[in-house]
Amino acid sequence: MLRYILKRILQFIPVFLGVTLILFIMQNVVPGDPIKLIAGEKKMDPQTEMNIRAAHGLIVTDENGNIVFDENGDTIETPLVSRYFNYLGNLLQGDLGTSYQKGRDVRDMIFEAYPYTVQIALVAIVLEAIVGVGAGIISAIKRYSFWDILVTLTTSMLVAMPAFWLGLLLQLFFGIWLKDATGGAFALPVSGVPGPHPQFPGWMYYILPAITLAAVSTAYTARIMRSQLVEVMNQDYIRTAKAKGLSKRSIIFHHALKNALIPVVTYIGMDFGAMLAGAILTETVFNWPGIGQQTYVAITQRDWPIVMGSITVIVVVVMIINLIVDVSYAFLDPRIRLGNKSEK
Amino acid sequence: MQYPNLDSVNVEGAPAQAVKRDGQAGKSRTLWGDALKRLKKNKLAMFAIVWILLIVVIAVTADLWVPQTLGDPTASDTATMASSSRLAPSLEHPFGTDTLGRDVLSRVIYGARISLTVGIVATGISTAIGLVMGALAAYYGGIWDAIIMRLADTFLAFPYTLFVIAMIAVMGDGIQNVFIAIGILGWPSIARVFRSAILSVKESDYIDAARSMGASDIRIIARHIFPNSVASIVVYATMNIGGAILTEAALSFLGLGVIPPDPSWGTLIQEGQKFLQTEPWLMILPGLAILTTVLAFTLLGDGLRDALDVKMKDA
Repeated sequence: MLRYILKRILQFIPVFLGVTLILFIMQNVVPGDPIKLIAGEKKMDPQTEMNIRAAHGLIVTDENGNIVFDENGDTIETPLVSRYFNYLGNLLQGDLGTSYQKGRDVRDMIFEAYPYTVQIALVAIVLEAIVGVGAGIISAIKRYSFWDILVTLTTSMLVAMPAFWLGLLLQLFFGIWLKDATGGAFALPVSGVPGPHPQFPGWMYYILPAITLAAVSTAYTARIMRSQLVEVMNQDYIRTAKAKGLSKRSIIFHHALKNALIPVVTYIGMDFGAMLAGAILTETVFNWPGIGQQTYVAITQRDWPIVMGSITVIVVVVMIINLIVDVSYAFLDPRIRLGNKSEK
Repeated sequence: MQYPNLDSVNVEGAPAQAVKRDGQAGKSRTLWGDALKRLKKNKLAMFAIVWILLIVVIAVTADLWVPQTLGDPTASDTATMASSSRLAPSLEHPFGTDTLGRDVLSRVIYGARISLTVGIVATGISTAIGLVMGALAAYYGGIWDAIIMRLADTFLAFPYTLFVIAMIAVMGDGIQNVFIAIGILGWPSIARVFRSAILSVKESDYIDAARSMGASDIRIIARHIFPNSVASIVVYATMNIGGAILTEAALSFLGLGVIPPDPSWGTLIQEGQKFLQTEPWLMILPGLAILTTVLAFTLLGDGLRDALDVKMKDA
């Protein structure tokens, strides 16, 4: 087991280097000078521009931080390779650089935005687990019943609709129609996070974004749960349990569910990782200041320190979550031996 | 693997069926002939095919009749704009009109062109890259396999939507860049499917036989391995089209992708979002177009999977 974990962590290294390298290449082939973009339409004072470039390590400076000039009196651009290694070196020391646009420490900005993403992901994952597993079990036990057909239809639709469209529909139903129908007495907040003096009780702000974020994966969870439970219920040991005269309830909850749940738990775990990657569309529709929206805005502004920092943090978080999921898979299912060559 | 439902096995009828089957041996007994027969029995899949064909026909012939009957999808008439802006659905304008007085159904139909093209072209690109990468990785193994699969891991490690947006930032706006970005980022999953398909047949005797007869690597892959894994690729690609349509919608919704005034389903939803309170159909109807189309490709993919008897891990 320990060997497997070590091996996986070693595999992180090339993926991690690959991700940072691809981002770095993108940053340098993208059209438009990000420093010029800071001033927008206005013209920037050349001295200020030079200082900004020096502060971001884009031009060569000596050890005292003074800008170095060549014989023509021009500044010297830092070579790409040394910028990449500077970036990696700083990264390992936990320094993610400074935002071009806002002049703020990228690490602080990520620490501010990430909690919002994590909060909404936690609510969404709980919702996904309860609704998805519940619907899957009902659907599997009462196969071909009205409920089964309802679940199948709903999950097919959820998987095929754009999540942002679902978010807008929810805003329409719970924010506008419900308000009109109850004469303004009841509605759910459709935008933003609870501020210092929220108009609604704080928890209500989480409902619609969490439903939107969870929708597609809840559908997948229900489908996997159904097919797993149906498969397990056909196995010999379940027939034995039936022959022993156990009640259907006891068979399902004490025998079948334990085995059927394993792939479902894995899926939910992986999905949690995916949610922690930030949900740009959900965050945009609900004006939720999470990491996805922040990164998206940074891309449109060519604010590369934020883009690089956020995506690097996201990738590391997702890789760690996936590793935890894989390891817990082996704990849940003793038939699985990690690191065994025949497995993969 | 499950045992077939015992009710469906008619023991007495079995020999008769066998005879009948032998009698038909002369007719098309190919993989695709059989699959088509099974697919025809799948009502949902047939419904999906009809829907997809309908949209394709409407989108392809749009120039011939849409501007004349419904109105131009992009140009707005400034003279009549004030009186024709954001009309409710009516016989004349089944989906209503947008804020510039343009017919929304006409825009949805022209949006179908974009969505279908993105779905098919992007999937084509992903499939082409995925096949080459998968073949290199599986057939040559060793260092090739390690490099390509680590590259695939790297691509999959990226948060997908952010990666597509960053790609478009690099390449610039425009719909052709959306094709390319979605296409390029989709290769790792196809490569994995093809790689495992090759690995499962690579050691078969008939491949050894072909090699001993002097067939080249390319010939073995193209003539012997590819036909054996084409079923799973077809199924995967069909489902991928729906995914590409959804990604394009998301990008246009964010304002990347098509350049106004060209319509795309995502753009239409974004435009309609502003009038959520007063004219909600502007947002609802284009979303229904996406939903039904993606659903059709998913159902067709499901149907093909069952008809071709492809085993898939997930999806």
